[in-house]
Amino acid sequence: MSAASHGAGCGVVLGIVLVVFLQQVGYLDLSDLVPTLEYLIVGAVIGGVLGTLIGWALGRNYLARHAADAAASAK
Amino acid sequence: MHGPGSTAEPWVLIGSPRPKRMRSAPYRSRRVGLLAAVVVVAVVALLVSVPVPARASPSVAPVAPQSSGGVGYTVTWNNADVSSASSASSAMSIDLSQTANLVYYYNVSLTGPSVTISDARLQMYYLGFAVSTRDQVLTNPTPGSGHIPLSWTPVSIGYLLEGVYRLTASFLAPNGTTMWSENFYVRGTAPFGFVALLPIVLLIIIVYEVYGLVRSGRYAGIGRPAEGGAPPSTPPPQPSGESAPSEETSPPAGPPDEGGGSPPSGGSS
Repeated sequence: MSAASHGAGCGVVLGIVLVVFLQQVGYLDLSDLVPTLEYLIVGAVIGGVLGTLIGWALGRNYLARHAADAAASAK
Repeated sequence: MHGPGSTAEPWVLIGSPRPKRMRSAPYRSRRVGLLAAVVVVAVVALLVSVPVPARASPSVAPVAPQSSGGVGYTVTWNNADVSSASSASSAMSIDLSQTANLVYYYNVSLTGPSVTISDARLQMYYLGFAVSTRDQVLTNPTPGSGHIPLSWTPVSIGYLLEGVYRLTASFLAPNGTTMWSENFYVRGTAPFGFVALLPIVLLIIIVYEVYGLVRSGRYAGIGRPAEGGAPPSTPPPQPSGESAPSEETSPPAGPPDEGGGSPPSGGSS
């Protein structure tokens, strides 16, 4: 699993959970099924894209700083 | 081996695994902890700041009953007409731990058809499904005007959910057909303002996933060297080695990664 894919997974979960959480704090109305599914899908897609970018950037940052550690731990 | 003290120190340094990592780990965990704390504070601030439109109090002024087929129907929630909360932005703010007193009024005109109401129903919807249904059934329904009181104490829901929900108030005939119904919105707050299971669980998941996202960079070091036999990102051997005898023997011999100490592998004389 790469850093980007791990970030994408976290982002998808965050996007879905944030939609439900925003309903719980009163910012969204999820009483009906169809707009709820739309909100969840949009949240998952946006979260996945952002998570991928964040994971990719953090992965590059990590490799730049810990290249030697990563190589040694992979042995 | 126990000769002069100068030879003992390199052995200790070689045996200690990665002094740089041991130094930076608390620093990194402190940064992650600080970030998690910031996220928690931001989310709690989000919890507290309830949107102003959701706090709209219902109007107590009487609203003319809405007629359907010569019959006027009105539903009140704690003496407030529910038709004033017909959208999510004008939802009534309620405490889910308190009892709600609803009254279903139906006025049949003298010239209108004979209508018999036998059931007053209240349903609460979430994700398109009715999570709560409350019925008040009349044992001896008679044609004509009347009212049906219905009390609802959603304590069990209050400990589970909060937020904005759509409710439907319905009048049912004895044969089960819906004579009239109206949708309205409420914004329920949990007991003590925060004791609800779902928001707390969601908050924990959010913090956990943000933590996982912040630490996702560490996954970049996993599997990358496994693609090729000789990873291209491996640092060149330290110049202290005389001729770099073989790349295979240097990693298990000790800490060749950063070479924090002065004598990484100078021999064991």
